[in-house]
Amino acid sequence: MRKVFRYLRSMRFGLLLLGLIGLCSVIGTVIPQGREIAWYAQTYRSFHGVILLLRLNRIFESPYFIALLILLCLNLSLCSLLRIRTVVTAAKTETQRAARAPDTVLLTPEGAEKLRQYLTDMRCKSETIGEATVWRKHGIGRYGTFVTHLSILLTVVFGALALYTPTVVDRDCMPGESIFLDDGTEIHVHDFRIADETGRLDYQSRVQVTLPDGRQSEVAELKVNHPFSFGAYKLFQQTFGTTGSVTVTDPDGSEFVSYIKRGDVLMLDDRNRLVIDTLYPDYAMSPDGEIVFDTVTTGVYPNPIYTGLIIADGERTPFYALPGQALTLGGARFTFNAPVDYPGIRVKHVSPLVNALLVGAFALMIAGLYLTFFLEPVLVKTDAEGCAVLGPKPERMRVELGEELREYERQLGGGGFAAF
Amino acid sequence: MRTLFFAAFALYALAVALEFAGTAFKKEKLLKAAWYVFLAAFALHSAFLVWRGIAAKRLPLSNQFEFANAFAWGVALMLIVMRGRLKTDWLSVAAMPATLLVMVYASLQPMEIKDLMPALRSAWFGVHIGSAVLSYAAFVIAGCISLRYLLAVKKGNADRRALDQMDYFSYRMVAFGFLFLTVVILSGAIWAEQAWSAFWTWDPKEVWALITWIIYAVYLHLRLRMRKRGTAMAWYLVIAVPVVFFTFAGVNTLMHGLHTYG
Ligand code: HEM
Repeated sequence: MRKVFRYLRSMRFGLLLLGLIGLCSVIGTVIPQGREIAWYAQTYRSFHGVILLLRLNRIFESPYFIALLILLCLNLSLCSLLRIRTVVTAAKTETQRAARAPDTVLLTPEGAEKLRQYLTDMRCKSETIGEATVWRKHGIGRYGTFVTHLSILLTVVFGALALYTPTVVDRDCMPGESIFLDDGTEIHVHDFRIADETGRLDYQSRVQVTLPDGRQSEVAELKVNHPFSFGAYKLFQQTFGTTGSVTVTDPDGSEFVSYIKRGDVLMLDDRNRLVIDTLYPDYAMSPDGEIVFDTVTTGVYPNPIYTGLIIADGERTPFYALPGQALTLGGARFTFNAPVDYPGIRVKHVSPLVNALLVGAFALMIAGLYLTFFLEPVLVKTDAEGCAVLGPKPERMRVELGEELREYERQLGGGGFAAF
Repeated sequence: MRTLFFAAFALYALAVALEFAGTAFKKEKLLKAAWYVFLAAFALHSAFLVWRGIAAKRLPLSNQFEFANAFAWGVALMLIVMRGRLKTDWLSVAAMPATLLVMVYASLQPMEIKDLMPALRSAWFGVHIGSAVLSYAAFVIAGCISLRYLLAVKKGNADRRALDQMDYFSYRMVAFGFLFLTVVILSGAIWAEQAWSAFWTWDPKEVWALITWIIYAVYLHLRLRMRKRGTAMAWYLVIAVPVVFFTFAGVNTLMHGLHTYG
């Protein structure tokens, strides 16, 4: 049992987990993820059974991948928690221990002076204990790996929460209309425009959120890279579309606008109907007088044209209509309008706290790595005869002091500093 | 202004040729000439980078050409800083060809200046991509130092202290690169949440950045905790460089994902 526990908290196990996560990640990029089952059958033929069985088509959601992440968290928590006590205790007693440490390099008075100068230049704090002087700097650096490990743990935990707890809905909304969410929140889309900046299109909506308790946001601009948060909702400019519309004037003079989709039917009564087939972005006349439609929609509608069918008293007549033109049918008037662009908005219900904690974990990770690599602890003891370099990471000093003290080391027959 | 890029390119190539000749024939003068030519190439390269930024009215880091160009510049810069501060003249024979190699890749990419697409117009653009340049360049330099280490061990002509120094410098470059790769991944996650609404989408570029991160994290554990160093670790860092290249170029060419901006 003890052995198992020791293995679970060991670095070997941590590295094994990292390796396995890396391996799964490679597989997850080599085999395209989340496609239709038929696609795998066609692409991988007889091999596709194995792919589906091992869930290699959705590897990042597979139980074994999630198990690896959970084990990683376990490993990191055990390692961090069990180590921190040792690190704190070691930090408390290190000066006393250093003062008692035997010299590992013997120095001449000039050599000792050079070293003292070096340590003073490094702005180390010195403390004299008996015969010895202990030089210290960047003691805080010893917590670097603890902070790093802890931050990785927090990143995995809050990252999982931030990825899997939000609810996300994608909704199209016509300018001037509103999206209503299940809890009664209203998102009103004031307007939408496609800004064409030298061929690279930017999509911008102006939106306003009203929460069920009546709180209302200001009118905010929503565009790619600039989401808008209000309450627990975060709105994103996700997609866009273009649609046609028809203004219907009833025989009694009342008017309403109907946005159309392909194959929409505007019904007057059993016998009179207007079937709108398509709004084409562009058209041209062929030499023999036929209309040729451009079906490619790249977001631009240079010469829009409506096509459809008029059904009057059971008789069907195809029609074309340009924006601005109107048709009369059964006493009602149908005016075809210019195409309208509309946004597709992604509404994410998030916990701002989880997001903030995740970003906090990110900051902690950078701080941890900075402590680990750039504030390496220095701990040196000097006395009348020589010195001992004791920092947990004395490598840099070894390399730097090696230059300074090469002479003395040679006198000692070499190997002095290499012993650390 | 392509001329400026190709002039820098040609000078880098000349510097490499002189460096190789100087090393092969043990001629100090050639090595010195190689260094001055390399500095001249770097000056032109810097001028090109500045010009490109002014012409594009943004940081010149947006597509494969611009990134590769900045990456090569980063490798050259790190070589120059290391030689200047730490007298690592022995590094040139590996790091100069590495700079040239990245320049070759850059020269094969479409060079026209394009406006930033909306998804890239963000304050995170500079942090995310600038850190990637620094981190990849540091990993390449770490690989170059390790290559020199292996050559020195093979020839048996370096003393223990020189080898220790190389070993230490390669570790420091990994430490630097690792910190910046972490910044790349984390800033990328924050940016992705703003642009695509999710912190992490398992997009191939994200995943390969993570794989690279894991590879160097394993190195750091072996080195810091298990005190592994020397030839095996030098091999490790040399072999890791192609992974960095794959993350940078291979993913864009061979895999499709949200990061494929062209
Ligand atoms: C997900 C990633 C990581 C895992 C799973 C992991 C796991 C571990 C484990 C289990 C140990 C042994 C702890 C012990 O001795 O009780 C360890 C030690 C260590 N790790 Fe990590 N680690 C990770 C990331 C990092 C990173 C990014 C660094 C970068 C600096 C790092 C630096 C160290 C160091 C220096 C030690 C030695 C212990 C010390 O000096 O405090 N680790 N790691």
